[in-house]
Amino acid sequence: VSRPFDPLIRRVLDGELDVAALPPELRREAEAALRLLQAVDRAPVTLPAALDDRVMAAVRQRANRRGSRTWRWMVEPHEVRVRVRRWMIGPALAAAAALALLLARPQDPVVAPVAASATTDSVLVRFVLYAPDARQVTLAGTFNEWDPEGTPLVRATTVETAEVGGGIWTTTIALPLGQHQYAFVIDGQRWIADPAAPHVDDGFGRTNSVLSIDLGGRTL
Amino acid sequence: MTVLAAFVAAVIIPAIPATVSAQTTVRQRLQGRVPAQVQRVVERLARDATRKGLPVDPLVQKALEGGAKGVPAARVVAAVQALAGRLETSARAIRAAGSPEPSAAAIEAGAFALSTGIEEGGVARIVRASRSVHAPEVPLRVAGAMAALGVSGDQTVELLVRLIETDRPAADVLSLPGQVEAGVSRGMTPTEAAGAAARAKPGRGRPPERPKKPRNSKP
Repeated sequence: VSRPFDPLIRRVLDGELDVAALPPELRREAEAALRLLQAVDRAPVTLPAALDDRVMAAVRQRANRRGSRTWRWMVEPHEVRVRVRRWMIGPALAAAAALALLLARPQDPVVAPVAASATTDSVLVRFVLYAPDARQVTLAGTFNEWDPEGTPLVRATTVETAEVGGGIWTTTIALPLGQHQYAFVIDGQRWIADPAAPHVDDGFGRTNSVLSIDLGGRTL
Repeated sequence: MTVLAAFVAAVIIPAIPATVSAQTTVRQRLQGRVPAQVQRVVERLARDATRKGLPVDPLVQKALEGGAKGVPAARVVAAVQALAGRLETSARAIRAAGSPEPSAAAIEAGAFALSTGIEEGGVARIVRASRSVHAPEVPLRVAGAMAALGVSGDQTVELLVRLIETDRPAADVLSLPGQVEAGVSRGMTPTEAAGAAARAKPGRGRPPERPKKPRNSKP
């Protein structure tokens, strides 16, 4: 347990009073405190002469490192003074408007869903397949995200198709200009390419049909 | 304000929504349509494609196609990776032909042409010939369609370049696959049909006649 010295003893330790000037009940404590103080080594500490040089060399090396300088330049606050002139307001507003337009435009048009095919740049295309034994025929391709249920064909029931046993399936859809790959899906399981269109390897061991709609809605 | 804070505020923060949005769109389109393994690979390939200025949509479409057809995940991944390689080759060929910033449509059309057997050099030749006459995707799609019909890549490139360089009307170029198809339906080989289409008079754009067989001469 520690307790503070009496203020009179502190004055003795500071050299302001003599022990003899203390009241008798404090003298023994004051003498013990003086003995403790004399036991402490009060000689001045001397550091090796090379220490200063070593420390300063390390500091200079660190300060000269390029990355460190750049980082300090980036993270230390800088005072920036902006003086707005009247002629600057027009160009600044124009730049802000341009930036707003830039940020507001669609970021990645190529990843936009293809579902919006019925635009002014689209063309109506009729797909026909002869599949007399099919119970259901659908169309899947790049224009409907390869959804095998998205675009069903209907069995044609005109007088002309009756001659071929009613096995003609057809649908007409609006397709955007560009190139499309597709296939028919019969009964939800069998994928077949359109016999009336060029075929390409689909990369999975089967074939896709290719349809290109270019200038003036002309198909390839 | 520190320079670092200014940089973050001015450059990085505005870029975050675009990047996140593109990745989110890819993820949303693939969610539930392909296995998780395929989704991870396609998202990574999509990031790479965006960084290289290549279209992302064909990669997503190929993955969706594989998922819809029930193709095993490993095969879907291989097909998407192969397509990513073709898109990169296509972009390189188009840039080599003097179009430093090719459109997504042109890159995709070039990749299609490559998939049908047209060489990288052939893609570059077609683009170089068609500059200032057609958008590059138009003759590239024609080339792909011709090759898909069975015409060799070399013959397709020669034919297209000749037609474009002799200022044949766009309709003649666009009708080439139809002419080849019609010629094949009349019994010609794709090579013969393409040759006949090349000899057709400008502006005709109609199916070629089957060449008459020479009469056997009696000894």
